[in-house]
Amino acid sequence: MVLGKIIALHSYKGGTGKTLLSINLAATLVKRGKNVCLLDLDFRAPSLSTILKIEKAESWLNDYLNGTCEIDKVLIDLNSGIQNKGKLFVGLANPATEAIRDISAKDRKWEMRALGRLLTLRNSLLNDKSFDFLIFDTSPGLQYSSINAVVSADLVIVVTTFDRSDVEGTKRMLRELYDLFEKKTEIVLNKALYDISPKSGKDEVQTRIKGTYQAPLLGIIPCFCDVSKAEGNTIFVQERPEHLFTKILDEIANKIDKP
Amino acid sequence: MNNYVCFVRLNKCFFFTLLYTCKTIWGNKVAHREVLGKKPLQVLERIRENLERLNEKMEVMIELQKHGRKDVQPLPEAPLDVMTLLSMPDHLRKTAMAVCRLGRATADEIAQQTHRARAVESAYLNQLMIMGHLKKERKGRKAYFYVDRESQE
Repeated sequence: MVLGKIIALHSYKGGTGKTLLSINLAATLVKRGKNVCLLDLDFRAPSLSTILKIEKAESWLNDYLNGTCEIDKVLIDLNSGIQNKGKLFVGLANPATEAIRDISAKDRKWEMRALGRLLTLRNSLLNDKSFDFLIFDTSPGLQYSSINAVVSADLVIVVTTFDRSDVEGTKRMLRELYDLFEKKTEIVLNKALYDISPKSGKDEVQTRIKGTYQAPLLGIIPCFCDVSKAEGNTIFVQERPEHLFTKILDEIANKIDKP
Repeated sequence: MNNYVCFVRLNKCFFFTLLYTCKTIWGNKVAHREVLGKKPLQVLERIRENLERLNEKMEVMIELQKHGRKDVQPLPEAPLDVMTLLSMPDHLRKTAMAVCRLGRATADEIAQQTHRARAVESAYLNQLMIMGHLKKERKGRKAYFYVDRESQE
């Protein structure tokens, strides 16, 4: 029984590591033999195209939401040359300044239609194309595109840090956004600063997180210098299969995709 | 307002009792006889359809009265976007979300999703229609509610 087939990674503040976790979670699920579609719904600051070094696409997710193309035209196959059990496809947000400006100026009616098109992805990608998971990388905070993603998702992974303003904002979002839409939420604490060697350190952090958010905890990811040093140039879990980061992502994927 | 509701509900009770009695007593042989050029069961079905429509109109009238309006025309500009969903009262948001998920649905289908009574969902759906968030289309006996995303250009 999976926790959810459509997963949105969201956070209150920027810089919590949503994109890094999205791409590495997608890659982890693919290693487990799942067919995954990763969609960049962060239209204000698109970054997947940079990380994946894709400069041009036949069509962007912006075009799909504008209703000028179907989702098939947007998806890019990332499986060539990689031996994986499952398949990974991505849909990218257009990183051009003009495209960012254009999407920032959309009105409520456009956002309503965009929500409709996101909701139809359940049929077109999960049912018709047989993807096992859709992963939405979103903009932080209460923006139209990210709330559309949250509404369309089965599970919201809330990526948070111990930054005080992030904690307070995340608590508000749990109460005033996810609860109102009756969304299943799981917390991932990223960039956690604690001593990972003694078990008591981790237990203390777990208790603190559960007490603060009153929500289930999906995982705690310590602040790894190795991940920072990679500078978003690689898919870390593929490059460093033995690293603790990869193992934690494996545990998270295991919880999401319960056998 | 309450008198209207009682009238419709009493009519419904009366009709279903009548339908049951007819089916039991008359049996198939009698059902083939024609009453005013139509088969009795067809006449009864027609009455039921009309009563259901009457019931729906009553629900709309009740909602209009609640909003202090007399016309049945929905508000012209009321896109059902996420911010509107967020600002709705919880009971309406639940119904609206179910319509968003299903795309197009009857009150029965919505009730299955929300685990609330069909009559409750019917009232909320009509309320959302009057507020201009949903559209209603009748096909035969069924009334379908949907978000009209494409026409609101």
